[in-house]
Amino acid sequence: MGVSLNESIQLCMFDLRRGQNEGQELDKILFFFPADLPFSKQLSVIGLSEGLITFTRIFSPEAACEVIEAERHSHVFHEAEPDIWMVMLVEKSNDSEPIWRDDALRKVLKEIPSLFVMFHGSVRAMLEKEPGGGLARRHLYSFIMDYLRDFLAGRKLLLPSFRDCLKERGTVQMLTIGREAAIEVQSLVRVLESSAGNTLCHSLILFQDLLVSTTLSPDDTVNLFTYAVLRLTPHALSSGSSSWSYLRKGSTASNVATEFNMAHPNSMSDSFYGTSDISSGEDNHYHVVRPLQGDKWSKGKDGYLVTDLWGAEIGTWVFATPTVWLQQTGEKMYLCVYQHRSLTLMLMIPVSAVPNGEQGVSEVRQQIIENASLKILKVEEKLSKGWGGENAYHVGGYRYLLVDGDRNISRASPATKVTTLTKESLLAMNKLRQEVELEKSRAKLDGCNFEKDLEMCIRTKNNAWVISRVTRGKELHMVLEKANETLLYASDAIQKFSDRYCDGAFSLD
Amino acid sequence: MNDDETESEGEIRASVELASEDAPSSPGSSGYIGEGGSTSATTGSQFEIEHEEIEEDTTIAMDRISISDSHTSWIAGKRHFDEDDGSISWRKRKKHFFVLSHSGKPIYSRYGDEHRLAGFSATLQAIISFVENGGDSVKLVKAGRHQVIFLVKGPIYLVCISSTEEPYESLRGQLELIYGQMLVILTKSINRCFEKNPKFDMTPLLGGTEIVFSSLIHSFSWNPATFLHAYTCLPLAYATRQAAGAILQDVADSGVLFAILMCRHKVISLVGAQKASLHPDDMLLLANFVMSSESFRTSESFSPICLPRYNPSAFLYAYIHYFDADTYLMLLTTNSDAFYHLKDCRIRVENVLLKSCVLSEVQRSLLNGGMHVEDLPPISHSGSSHLGQHMLPSDSPDRFREANSGIGGPAGLWHFIYRSIYLDQYVSSEFPSSINTPQLQKRLYRAYEKLFASMHDKGTGPHKTQFRRDENYVLLCWVTQDFELYAAFDPLADKALAIKTCNHVCQWIKDVENEIFLLGASPFSW
Repeated sequence: MGVSLNESIQLCMFDLRRGQNEGQELDKILFFFPADLPFSKQLSVIGLSEGLITFTRIFSPEAACEVIEAERHSHVFHEAEPDIWMVMLVEKSNDSEPIWRDDALRKVLKEIPSLFVMFHGSVRAMLEKEPGGGLARRHLYSFIMDYLRDFLAGRKLLLPSFRDCLKERGTVQMLTIGREAAIEVQSLVRVLESSAGNTLCHSLILFQDLLVSTTLSPDDTVNLFTYAVLRLTPHALSSGSSSWSYLRKGSTASNVATEFNMAHPNSMSDSFYGTSDISSGEDNHYHVVRPLQGDKWSKGKDGYLVTDLWGAEIGTWVFATPTVWLQQTGEKMYLCVYQHRSLTLMLMIPVSAVPNGEQGVSEVRQQIIENASLKILKVEEKLSKGWGGENAYHVGGYRYLLVDGDRNISRASPATKVTTLTKESLLAMNKLRQEVELEKSRAKLDGCNFEKDLEMCIRTKNNAWVISRVTRGKELHMVLEKANETLLYASDAIQKFSDRYCDGAFSLD
Repeated sequence: MNDDETESEGEIRASVELASEDAPSSPGSSGYIGEGGSTSATTGSQFEIEHEEIEEDTTIAMDRISISDSHTSWIAGKRHFDEDDGSISWRKRKKHFFVLSHSGKPIYSRYGDEHRLAGFSATLQAIISFVENGGDSVKLVKAGRHQVIFLVKGPIYLVCISSTEEPYESLRGQLELIYGQMLVILTKSINRCFEKNPKFDMTPLLGGTEIVFSSLIHSFSWNPATFLHAYTCLPLAYATRQAAGAILQDVADSGVLFAILMCRHKVISLVGAQKASLHPDDMLLLANFVMSSESFRTSESFSPICLPRYNPSAFLYAYIHYFDADTYLMLLTTNSDAFYHLKDCRIRVENVLLKSCVLSEVQRSLLNGGMHVEDLPPISHSGSSHLGQHMLPSDSPDRFREANSGIGGPAGLWHFIYRSIYLDQYVSSEFPSSINTPQLQKRLYRAYEKLFASMHDKGTGPHKTQFRRDENYVLLCWVTQDFELYAAFDPLADKALAIKTCNHVCQWIKDVENEIFLLGASPFSW
């Protein structure tokens, strides 16, 4: 069966600086899913993409090709690093109207390289280190395949669709806490970050899958938060259990789907991507760290999470401490993760500040246990008491998404509540969000620091209200079903929500 | 098979590189340069202001003769003939339209000399056929603020490259109209020429018609008929329109397929033979064809034309006569020998129009304009209303309007468009002085275009109501089974008052509908 299904999603990464001579075109390809697609077809996708990047630059030198819409496919583009492009090709269903938003798919395309760079550094640097490209290809292959596995449902890949129109990938979800708890958390952060002496450390604290505190830049916060929710939080550790987070796969059947063929690619691409050894975790040429490999983290007796993903220290059975690169400072950091019940603490210590390596790190860990245990217990208890459960942020009558673009924060109706909406309402909301994205991106291209102020209310064919409100970098999207048909009712609903939950940020008039 | 694919991959890249070269003497187009240079002076108008329609898109040209709704003059015909894809100015034009053949031969380009764009045309063809070879067809490419829209019509490819903010659906509709305009001139039988010879050069067949296309493209920025797919009437007293309709009906009964009396782009009256129906798009294209061709103005003419929605494969014959600078009669028939009969018909029509003062009423209506938002009767108003009352010079509404004009109508109402669904007609109010420049008018036009596309979304529409507020306007749209109302208000307008005002506008239109619409005798049989 597979062939056509297999092709319903393709994902590739290629480098425009490579393979410019005839006969060397294969050199461009850094990653291609599915890997067993014949090279001629891979090159055809990349050829079209490359052609259109060049073509669109004639008119739009500042922003090259973003999307190709064809009758049967959409191609979504993202320039991950200068001249390194990612393209996702998605097949449309029979009714030919796309059921996803370009922007939602592009968020996936953006997430892949930003997580990759956090663990491995830039792709360009890897290509410079080993110009043959083997190093980069092997890393990308294992990394992206591990990433895509999270979108698997059965044997199909489920990408964000219109059903996810009230979610925002690439943002952080926060826990709302009272003043008293906030003070406790702050004091815990001080203790944590001072555990390594005078070294400047950073920390991130999560309760369940929600962020409590961060001392990282917004971009680094999003990356580490994303990783935590994917692999580290209690939900992630007990994989298989359901989660309300958009980061872990849903189970709606109507998402964009493809057959996920994990069977071994043909021998040609096998050697090309160096996939032969990946399943065994061993590698002949390079040691490939696979930070996104599933089920590799577990909780140790001392409360710290451990993994063998980063290998073991030479000659010992001690697992090496994971490291990450911070985007803002370009610094390489040790990542220590401690977990107490629902509370996950991540501490980042600069590698350069720990001269004696693993031994130094374990001293810091010890320090934390000694200094902070009590505070950790207290904070966990306090947060658990105030925690309203998975439906804590449900607002009766509303299905909403609230995004603070400047701070990369979002809050939304619980997924279980959103699923009660009709398909028509969700499609209309999806479409409205697309219009809003367009307006926002145009305002951005206009360059001036002018922030888009926009209000759109639509009474749909199926008598729902779909509403988007953009103001001062914040966005509110909502769907109201079974609501009164007068426009004033809808305005009133926004007003009430804004006053109650957004400090009046979206208030009108 | 693999070889084929790599080959075409190479092809597309090669031609893209070709097109992106800065040197105008790229190998693909060099062969034509001499020819292009020698002909450019004959059609190009040289008195263009540099940078016009580049980036800022400031000067919106308007044809003083054909368009009443604007105050500036538009220079018709081909412009920027000396440009090609190597010119920075060409690349920065906000909206390009290209027509090419499936073999990549240029047929029409809005800007620049087609022959010098041969290489660029080949690139467009390569993109389309590359995707086609993969069993798909390309519709849209987005890059930054640019959209590239593709439309394939058999052997004819149409492409729009635009950095205007118009929605995809609107731009695609514009390509459809350009294709339709081509059919008006040539009919679909042109396809046969390509069947015989894929490398067939169509440009000679369209020789001299550039002005028709540039005028159509120009209408995409001011004429709501291009996206509403409805026509509009010149406001006239009911009796006056009846008188015109009666004589048209009279001649239609003598073997005329359609008899249409128009003033500029507005209909005075029209009549169709039994069961013959005329699509608003056909009327738009026909009127554009007639109005943009200078020769029709100077003498009565008998010309083969095709109505693409009526029958794309066959020519009809149109007898066209201007009664004065604005008002013209079109009599359409299937009979190619009917000139003298139609001429007789025209004389009969002319006599009646003169006798019943229709032509002078038309001139008066032109002077007075249509509905002014300032004239919207007060909310408490009830009973019958006549458009004429507000326009009679003795009432001196002009002074009143002057005083009021800065603020538009009540509740910050600036403008509205009302489309009657079962009549296939729309009425658009006059622009208030707050929207008195072509730029402001175009901006509002584009906002309506967006609103229309949003309301009529292919997948989820049509929606029922929409409220939209941005830095420029408050827009309200209301779609029912009978009508659609699009209204623009001051961005600070009060929502509740705006809603009330919209209801009021609908009532006003009902009150004056027999003056602003052509009622009864609708030729639209669906």
